[in-house]
Amino acid sequence: MAAHYAMVIDLNTCVGCNACMAACAMENQTPVWANRWRTYVHDLEVTSGFLEDQIRRRFFPRLCNHCDNPPCMSVCPTGATHKLENGIVMVDDDLCMGCRACAMACPYDARFDVTYDDLKEGETFYGSLHFRTSPSVDKCSFCSHRVMRGLKPACVETCVGYSRMFGDLNDPADPVAKIVASGVAKPLMSHLGTRPNVFYISDLERAT
Amino acid sequence: MEGMFYSTQEVWTWWIAIYLFLGGLGGAAVVISIMTNMYYRTHKELILWANISSFIMLSVGSLLLFLHLLHHIAVINVLNPMVLINKPDAWISWGTQFIVWMMVWSMVYTFPYLLESPFWSRMPIVGSILKLFGWAGQLSLKFHKIIGWLAIINAVGTVLYTGLLLQSFPAVALWHNPGVPLLFIVSAFSTAFAFLLLVLYLFIDREEDHVIKVFYERTDVILISVELLIIFVFFHFTTYGLESARHTASLLWENMGWIIGFIGFGLLVPFFIELKGVTTGWKSPAPIVLAAVLVLVGGYLLRHYFMYAGVYERPYPAQHEFAPGGHVELDKLQTQKPVSG
Repeated sequence: MAAHYAMVIDLNTCVGCNACMAACAMENQTPVWANRWRTYVHDLEVTSGFLEDQIRRRFFPRLCNHCDNPPCMSVCPTGATHKLENGIVMVDDDLCMGCRACAMACPYDARFDVTYDDLKEGETFYGSLHFRTSPSVDKCSFCSHRVMRGLKPACVETCVGYSRMFGDLNDPADPVAKIVASGVAKPLMSHLGTRPNVFYISDLERAT
Repeated sequence: MEGMFYSTQEVWTWWIAIYLFLGGLGGAAVVISIMTNMYYRTHKELILWANISSFIMLSVGSLLLFLHLLHHIAVINVLNPMVLINKPDAWISWGTQFIVWMMVWSMVYTFPYLLESPFWSRMPIVGSILKLFGWAGQLSLKFHKIIGWLAIINAVGTVLYTGLLLQSFPAVALWHNPGVPLLFIVSAFSTAFAFLLLVLYLFIDREEDHVIKVFYERTDVILISVELLIIFVFFHFTTYGLESARHTASLLWENMGWIIGFIGFGLLVPFFIELKGVTTGWKSPAPIVLAAVLVLVGGYLLRHYFMYAGVYERPYPAQHEFAPGGHVELDKLQTQKPVSG
């Protein structure tokens, strides 16, 4: 059976160091000069617990949820957004015309522009290693180029708090599959029917 | 999940509203004019005005969309008709093909009338080019009804597409419901009747067109009243519906541009003007012309506010709120008590 990749993010152990953002940006050459990232860690204050005045600081990493029913893929008119057999949702930069219907359809706000100006800026910023050649509406690819070589995504590799875990849902022995099966980790906005493959362990439920 | 944030988007804004408006108006104008010509009253001038205007509208709308693409050359991927086989689930694929083929067939349908028209055939350069294609006009006349129906089918598809495009975004309650295509279809046909009334009153202005004008005015009154009913349904849906819909309600129903601009001057005022026109009548065409202009403005405002009032619900703020210079203040972030489980 082919692998079905997924990520679990434990909000209890994310310390907000942003190392995942830096690692991802360097690995995937995102337009960080325009504050556009494949993964972003929000530093939020939220009310939590039974007491309304109880305020918590929360670090909330966001990225493409690699949905099994991805609305960004169904609205994509050119087929640039497509799903691999292993569950990873990819963007073909050559096919993408940048209409941004995917950005409108994504409930997770995971898509962002890579413009002609960004391509020029990228040549300066990333130097001779710069590999982007076409504008597109970019997003996280679970670092599929690394995963194909048996490596973990850059953000997972660099996470100091082991907040990010990456694994195969089709392998019952995989720790990620076990956590997801236990129900401790939950997807975001599952009521939309997107069937995401990024699962979050809540910090607020544990606190209460 | 706990601590949700509600935000609108800055990706598709006024230019998409113009695209949707011109697409709906242009498509419906083709349907109405060709149906009128084929089954109600033969009217070559109406066909010329409606179909050439529609061609210009769709060109302008498509150009706006094209200019906002990130990767212009890749547009070839969606212009290729094979896109319907490769991506039949994407409404932009269908919409692009509907628009292209509607423009083609409506112009082929119009071509024989273009050849007969003194204005076009006497125009320098254009006239001499038209003369070269006289055979094409003959061919078009031979299959005129089939060509008319091909234009109509693609035009209906274009009108439908403008609503289904928004419906295909599941994260926004305002858009992701069957009411949107219905509302956009009714609005498109209402604006098209208004536009054709303007053409008939201001540009063609023939006494024998009275019966067509009356028919158009009556139909437009019915369409505006249906549109008002659908708007009421949306009022109920946004006010008592999902959480993101409720946030939309506060954007729409507290906005004077929506209430006074769209519902007041875009629907109610033209409704009463046209209602008086079809019941007791007006001595001058001026009120109907005014009503038609208001319907057209209302048609744009509907799409404008629809684009800006679509609210997303997420456990974190939107990207554009973190754009450079877009500093987020904590007191502006909407948080709520967490819901366990």
